[in-house]
Amino acid sequence: MAGSKSALVLCMDVGFSMSNSAPGEESPFDSAKKVIQKFVQRQVFAETKDELSLVLFGTDSTKNPLSQDGQYQNITVHCPFMVPDFTLLEEIEHQLHPENQQGDWLDALVVCMDLLQTQTRGKKYDRLSIILLTDLNAAASSDNLDVIVENLKKAGITLQFFLPFPVEDDEEGQGDGDRRGPGDPGAGKGLSREQKSGLEMVKHIMLSLYEEEGLDEIYTFRNAVEQLCMFKRIERRPVAWPCQLTIGSSLSIPIVGYKAVTEEKLKKTWITVDAQSKKKDDVKKETVYCLDDDNETEVQREDIIQGFRYGSDIVPFSKIDQEQMKYKHDGKCFAVLGFTKQNMILRHLFMGSNVLKIFPARDDEHAAVALSALIRALDELKMVAVVRYAYNRCSNPQVGAAFPFIKPSYECLMYVQLPFLEDLRHYLFPSLDKNKKIAPSEPQLSAVDSLIDSMMLVGEDENHDQKDLFKPHHLPNPHFQRHFQCLHHRAVHPDSPLPAMEPWLAAALDRPEVIKERCQAPLEALKKLFPLTEVEKKKRLKTSAQIFGKDSEEPDAKKAKEDEAEEYNLADIAEGSVSSVGSVDPARDFRTLIKQKSLPFGEVCQQLTHRIEQLLSNKNTHYYMKSITCIQAFREQSVKQGNADLFNSYLQSLKRSIPSRGLEVFWDLLVQDAVTLISKVEVEASTVSRDEANQFLMAEEKKEEAAAVPAEDTGDVDDLLDMM
Amino acid sequence: MAEWNAYYHNEDEEEAEEREAPGGEYKATGRDSLVFLVDASKEMFIKGEDGQPSNFDMTMEVVRNVYIHKIESSYRDLLALVFYGTEQSKNPRNSFKHVYVYHDLDEPGAKRVQEVNALRGEKGAHLAAKLMGSGEASLGDALWCCSNLYSDIKLRLSQKRLMIFTCRDEPHVGDSTKDRQARIKASDLKETGVVIDLIHLMKVDGFDVSLFFRDIVSPPEDESELGLQLEPCDKLEDLKKWVQAKEQKRRLARMSLCLGEGLDVAVGVYATAVQAQKPTPVRLYRETNEPVHSKTRTFHTQTGSLLLPSEIKKVQVYGKKQIVMERDEVDAIKKFGDPGLFLVGFKPMEKLKLHHHIRSSVFIYPEEDEVKGSACLFSALLKKCSERNVLALCRCITRRNCPPRYVALVPQLEEADEGKLQITPPGFNIIYLPYADDMRTLDPPHCPPASQKQVNKMKEIVYKLRFTYKSDAFENPVLQQHYRNLEALALDMMAPEDIDDHIMPKVDQIDHRLGPLVQEFKDLVYPADYNPETKPAPKRKAADAGSGAEKKAKVEVTEAELRTHLQNGTLGKLTVPVLKEACKQFGIRTTGTKKQELIDALTGKLGP
Repeated sequence: MAGSKSALVLCMDVGFSMSNSAPGEESPFDSAKKVIQKFVQRQVFAETKDELSLVLFGTDSTKNPLSQDGQYQNITVHCPFMVPDFTLLEEIEHQLHPENQQGDWLDALVVCMDLLQTQTRGKKYDRLSIILLTDLNAAASSDNLDVIVENLKKAGITLQFFLPFPVEDDEEGQGDGDRRGPGDPGAGKGLSREQKSGLEMVKHIMLSLYEEEGLDEIYTFRNAVEQLCMFKRIERRPVAWPCQLTIGSSLSIPIVGYKAVTEEKLKKTWITVDAQSKKKDDVKKETVYCLDDDNETEVQREDIIQGFRYGSDIVPFSKIDQEQMKYKHDGKCFAVLGFTKQNMILRHLFMGSNVLKIFPARDDEHAAVALSALIRALDELKMVAVVRYAYNRCSNPQVGAAFPFIKPSYECLMYVQLPFLEDLRHYLFPSLDKNKKIAPSEPQLSAVDSLIDSMMLVGEDENHDQKDLFKPHHLPNPHFQRHFQCLHHRAVHPDSPLPAMEPWLAAALDRPEVIKERCQAPLEALKKLFPLTEVEKKKRLKTSAQIFGKDSEEPDAKKAKEDEAEEYNLADIAEGSVSSVGSVDPARDFRTLIKQKSLPFGEVCQQLTHRIEQLLSNKNTHYYMKSITCIQAFREQSVKQGNADLFNSYLQSLKRSIPSRGLEVFWDLLVQDAVTLISKVEVEASTVSRDEANQFLMAEEKKEEAAAVPAEDTGDVDDLLDMM
Repeated sequence: MAEWNAYYHNEDEEEAEEREAPGGEYKATGRDSLVFLVDASKEMFIKGEDGQPSNFDMTMEVVRNVYIHKIESSYRDLLALVFYGTEQSKNPRNSFKHVYVYHDLDEPGAKRVQEVNALRGEKGAHLAAKLMGSGEASLGDALWCCSNLYSDIKLRLSQKRLMIFTCRDEPHVGDSTKDRQARIKASDLKETGVVIDLIHLMKVDGFDVSLFFRDIVSPPEDESELGLQLEPCDKLEDLKKWVQAKEQKRRLARMSLCLGEGLDVAVGVYATAVQAQKPTPVRLYRETNEPVHSKTRTFHTQTGSLLLPSEIKKVQVYGKKQIVMERDEVDAIKKFGDPGLFLVGFKPMEKLKLHHHIRSSVFIYPEEDEVKGSACLFSALLKKCSERNVLALCRCITRRNCPPRYVALVPQLEEADEGKLQITPPGFNIIYLPYADDMRTLDPPHCPPASQKQVNKMKEIVYKLRFTYKSDAFENPVLQQHYRNLEALALDMMAPEDIDDHIMPKVDQIDHRLGPLVQEFKDLVYPADYNPETKPAPKRKAADAGSGAEKKAKVEVTEAELRTHLQNGTLGKLTVPVLKEACKQFGIRTTGTKKQELIDALTGKLGP
């Protein structure tokens, strides 16, 4: 858990027997090293404050505080307690080798205990633990076994063993099938005498430390590696929310709430750095505000006030006024509005992004009884409490339902937010039943029936225990797994491309194998019975002329009306009458025509693009510059008119025609001037997001470098065209 | 296919634009438009029995609602309000008699809301009489006038809708020329893509749609005549709901639901409940109050030159090491496949736990015009899932470069109310499921359960306070206040209208209903000196500070007290330290620390 920290000793056997292995099998040393690597990796990425120490035994040299008079030989404290980082990972990678001695694992254990006790003194740790990885092949003296156990107990040190072979199921009846796969190397009777006696000692220690559960703390290398493949799930310390549950004015129950389910996000965000220097400080982002006039006059941040739209009106409404006039309430609250039947609360109308669990206040027995009475009453009546919930004074109050939740070990209320009237959208859809043309026939229905049969994820196994083959809430978030996998790869191999998804993850996301097999036939049957044909789409419009042809019929006349008064100035009169976009100064003509409004916007745009095309046919820098001025004018006026579509589609079609027309030089100029698509930020009706607009030019850059068109990008262009 | 086309024909334009966002969020490009064509005849102003509002009054209420709703949700849509059957005439070219254009097609604003408000209630009826009066009706002229309103608009309209509100099934009382003219004008309008709906209101001897209006309105959306409400509306609430349902239909995305290879069903994704937020503020220039726009630039601190996206990389730091990636690699990490729903299997419905909730659900409905045959397979799947009470577990990728989530497809059959108005549409609700990372580990306290007696008392309380929950019963006070504030500012009102806080508990009523029950319950669960309002923690601290040494002594109880508690079965009222001390007193050895264990131990020793 974040906030708390633990101290942990990884104690690994590097003695010569560890490198013995059957041909084709991984040596215990390699497996153990992998376990340690994976473990340290997880710690690094989880960014816990946990401190690690690495102790090796069976080493050729001896380096530990207890070594004296031939005692505690061949044991090396590799590193003292530290928060693990990539340096440690590299050390493990490069400095951990099998060595030639054998070390007494009990002696090593004592060294670890000593290390924990001396080095952690004066610091606060929530947990002290030792992880011992060995093949138990060196003889160990069992003389002090009980003293060791006693000391472990006294110091509160937890102990885990990782062995190359499983502990056999014995009379204690620890039938944990998952843990001990049949494929574990060394399973069965192939153990040496030392190993057998060692195993007895391990069992003795674990049983005296933790009773029956002790044997669960002995793992094999193999399943440890499997489990450690998964990056640690993100854990957060639950934050308690103490409050009073109130019913009316005089009945209140002290409670404490916790977020129990909520969509977890990655803790770190990406930092933008300069590509060359890799420094964050070299990059600065700046936002400027501009008036919607021809010159895009910049406005100082201090001169900006806040306003809101109320329909067609924009109402200036300062933050201070807003704060003063806003809805205010009494703060933190969990007040019952009434009780209703559970079935009145529709599952698909759950709102918000989390579920709270409500417990009685800590250490308040009376609150516990009172809350228990409510929970049980609701449970017996199949009802829920509808409550007003406010997290604190600053947050908006919600309406929600508190469901009773009773488990064998505890009980609580579960709170879920419910919708407000404003949140609801009621849609009407044509009935599916009553439409005879689409009504499925009997054979079709039974085909679906057998599909459901074949794909049931929940069934009974041989012992009539219910078995669920696919539980998403047991799955780690694949995004996080992939994220850390890629980060780790990049950290260790900075110059190689990102790796493929790990096979276990891909498999975990897919249909379970059994289901895959079972559903083959029913799916085939379904395919025969239900013909599905994709409907042919309308032909896409390709040329800009066609695009404008359609839209010029519906010019943005209304907008034009509003702007009329302000724009009638001397300059316009001086310019005389312009009736079309000429070739001398097309950008100026274009602007003038837009102002005059004698022609529809779309038509003026079409005239302009016609001129641009003409200019571009002369491959000459002078004409290129002129074209760019035109495109800039086009963009500026489009933003002003709030009509992004014409400009965006023109620029996209232009971009596509660059290679075939050999206009790369021109395009580079355009990129330099950062003339990109009009994004949503500038024109609300635009279908292009700011990122897409930014990427629009970048993608082109890439193409030149790699000569490979990113498939996604072209997809975008097509989609956008489609809409015209 | 005929009926499917009929259903979609009003969406043709919308269709075209929506294709741009496959799997993405909905982006509004065109604008919706809605014309209210309201009958202003004398019959409309007749009040119902028992002071029921007149049809006209109800209509204005609904119109006002739609205006406000549009302002709050999609202010760029256009609305118009036109009356027919008036004495006075007012229309753009004044070429039509008995047609009064109250508002032409435009974005609704505060002033218009105010003007609609003025037509409500008793005063509104007077105003209407003064302003417009009631006269002869010619629906043909009215429709013609409306079509002019549409043709005057030079914007791209994604949806054109016209709603006729009337309580007269024969507006021209047998004048067949006028009837014919109206029919012609109606079909002209429909040809230009306008959907005509009839909202027929209560009429004493019943409203007969077949007499005249059947030929006026747009054909129903499908065979089941869902589009045509059979019973006239007499309740305001129904009317509001009905108008609202007709007026909005927004698809978030189109997706494919893949059952297996070659079995891709096209579905549309709709949000049935979205948390409504305060609109984002607009930035204005202080001097002129004109909107400003922002431009963001990334540049190099040293050289000051603008940085192209290709000159930027992304970095995260772990274990003191900087890990660098290209921008497209950052996106690639999130890519797991193409957008869509992929069927993993089926599960019994009870496997969907209440607490498996991380975000609002969405709704899917087949898209026959995308993949033909979708509706049939979808319908079969829906029927069978519902019949067998199973959910379909799917992997869901909503957008490109969006990591997968698992979802439960929960079948929902069609339901209609008595008025045959659809309450729940047929389709699947998509419930998003949490991953292991999303489930937090809590440390629940272990507490003794309440006794049946205590539970029963609480049941009485619960029973007294039961009500029928309706999801649309609560308005969001925060939003309401915000909009009332804006309204007040926009209209230069002295103070904003007061809002009702629907989610404030009605404490007085609750207290009154519960009467003595509260005290009875408290007597059962709380000791006499217990005050739930004070936090237990500080209380204990205060005690500790004063008398650290006496702490132990304080928790003792006499044997007599203990025995009384035992007899009354109220040992549970004592705290754990007290009970522990008591155990010590009587030399009871107990290893348990849980309250119930202590109580059991004491009962065992002292009990009969």
